[in-house]
This record gives sequence, C-alpha cells and structure tokens, in this order.
Amino acid sequence: MNILKDVLSELFSMFVADARLTASILAIVVVVALLIKWTSMPQLAGGLLLLLGCIAVLLSSIYREANRRRSPPEANE
Amino acid sequence: MIEWSTATPAISAAFLASVVEVVEAFTIVLVVATLRGWKPAVLGTGAALAALASVVVVMGPLLDQVPLNILQLTIGVLLLLFGIGWLRKASLRAGGVIPLHDEGAIFAKKTAELRDEVQRQRTSQDWIAGIAAFKAVLLEGLEVIFIVIAVGSGRGLLWPASLGALAACVVVLMIGAIAHRPLARVPENTLKFGVGVMLSAFGVFWTGEGLGIEWPGHDLALFVLAVLFLIAGLMSAQMLRQPLARNAQ
Repeated sequence: MNILKDVLSELFSMFVADARLTASILAIVVVVALLIKWTSMPQLAGGLLLLLGCIAVLLSSIYREANRRRSPPEANE
Repeated sequence: MIEWSTATPAISAAFLASVVEVVEAFTIVLVVATLRGWKPAVLGTGAALAALASVVVVMGPLLDQVPLNILQLTIGVLLLLFGIGWLRKASLRAGGVIPLHDEGAIFAKKTAELRDEVQRQRTSQDWIAGIAAFKAVLLEGLEVIFIVIAVGSGRGLLWPASLGALAACVVVLMIGAIAHRPLARVPENTLKFGVGVMLSAFGVFWTGEGLGIEWPGHDLALFVLAVLFLIAGLMSAQMLRQPLARNAQ
C-alpha cells in the first residue's frame, strides 16, 4: 500500500508542484476556451492569449517563489 | 511518413527528459547495489520494468479510443502543468534561488537512508533494498511514459518518441556501467531547463490545437513557442541572479 501511495503522490506532484501555478494555468486554458467558443475572438488571438498567459504565469510564479525564499523567515510565517 | 519538423522536437524532448529521469533512477539502483549487491537491484529494476510494460500495454490501446482533439487538449494541459513546473524549478536553480541538483549528494543521502531502513526492519534486508530499486525505477519510469505519450501521441509519433526514451536509457546505463558511480557530471539543470522549454511549447501547441486553434506555420510554430519560453526562462534566471551579484559586491 505504501508503494501505491508513493506512486499516487508522485503522480500528483508531477502536475501540482505548486498549487497556485496549477490553478492559474487551468484558469487561463478555461478562459481561452470560453473566449474562443462563446465570443467572436479570432482563434489565433486565443492562441496568443494562451501563450502570453502561460508565460506571465510562469514569470510571476518564479518571482513569487524567489521572494518567498529570500525574505526573512518571520515574513514567511 | 514522419514529418521531421514535429518528430525532431518530439524525439529530442523524449530523449533529454528520459536522460534526467534515468540518471535519477540509476542513482537509487546504484545505492541498492552498493549496499546489498546487484541481485536485489536487478530484481527490483526488472519488476519495475515489467510493471511499466504492463502500464504501456493497458494504456496504449486506450489512447487509440480517445478522439484526437480531446487527446490533444488533455495531453496539452498536462504538458503545460508538467513543463512549466520543470521550467520554473530550473529557472529558480539557474537563478541561484534553490540549490542545483547534486547526484553525488543524493547518492550519499539515499545510502544513509537505506542503511538505516535496512537496520531498522526485521524483514529480509534484500527485500527492502529491492523494493527501493523497484520504487525508484517505477516512479521515474512513469514520468518517462507520460512524456513519451505526451510528446508522441498527438501526431502519431509514439514509436519515434519511445525510441528517443530507449536511447536515453541505453546511453545512461552504458555510461553508468563504465563509471560505476553516480552520474554527477550530467548537466541535470541545463537538461531540465531545455526539456521544460520544449514541454511547455508542446503544451501550448497541443492545448491550442485541442481548442481548435490553427497555428500559423503549423508544426513549425513549435519552434517559435519554444524560443519564447526559452527567452522567458533565461530572462527570469538572469534577473534572479542580479540581486545575488549586487549582494556579493
């Protein structure tokens, strides 16, 4: 059972290394999907929004983590 | 007929990602072999490879049943989560925020952990060592399978991507067999950075295709997406290093 638990936990951590990063990426995909399906947004604009949104989420996640790790311990509590 | 504009990134992503995973698994197998001999290491590894083969045998036919756009969207989103996670970690390492992956240190730590575990347990010591090898190969192998499926299934490139992963296994095991110590000189973070860039590009590409987006230049758009993720990753690592350089002055 321990092995199964470890495998499931590893699989989970493969895709959810950082909960906020995961939630943000999923939100971008949902927003782009809705915009393409329910508005007259050109598909290519949707693709561009998806790309730029993912890059923005990546950068903000990197800076947030860097700030968290570099700030004094009491600031993280 | 294979289109090399798609096959090349798929094969190289599968190869490079598999190098990272196989090196990590090799370190644990080597810990087991060093502490308890090659028998439990080989038995644990063999059992894990059999388990992984059965996953492939079960999963393979199921993939053919999924409509292409749903497969692309699902794989694309999973690739985004996985690839951007890798790129984030590699950028933080390159920027000096978190320490670089050190296979030598991991070997020493895992050796100490397994030695403690073996001494604590009353069950067969070889059994515990074999289970450690089994878990390591199974966990890293599952990541390899996911990456192969992710980069290969969208355009019917499962076989070329599998060959890329297999080549990585052969290369790492050959070097490992000759070196007979942890492969600490493999530039793990550079590989992880490169693979993170490629998987993130594949993720945007497949997610877009799954949503019905037709990328200009079709498969060649992958290269543009990869370049943009590469620039973002390099820029963030560079900007993270600047405060460190200022503090050092």
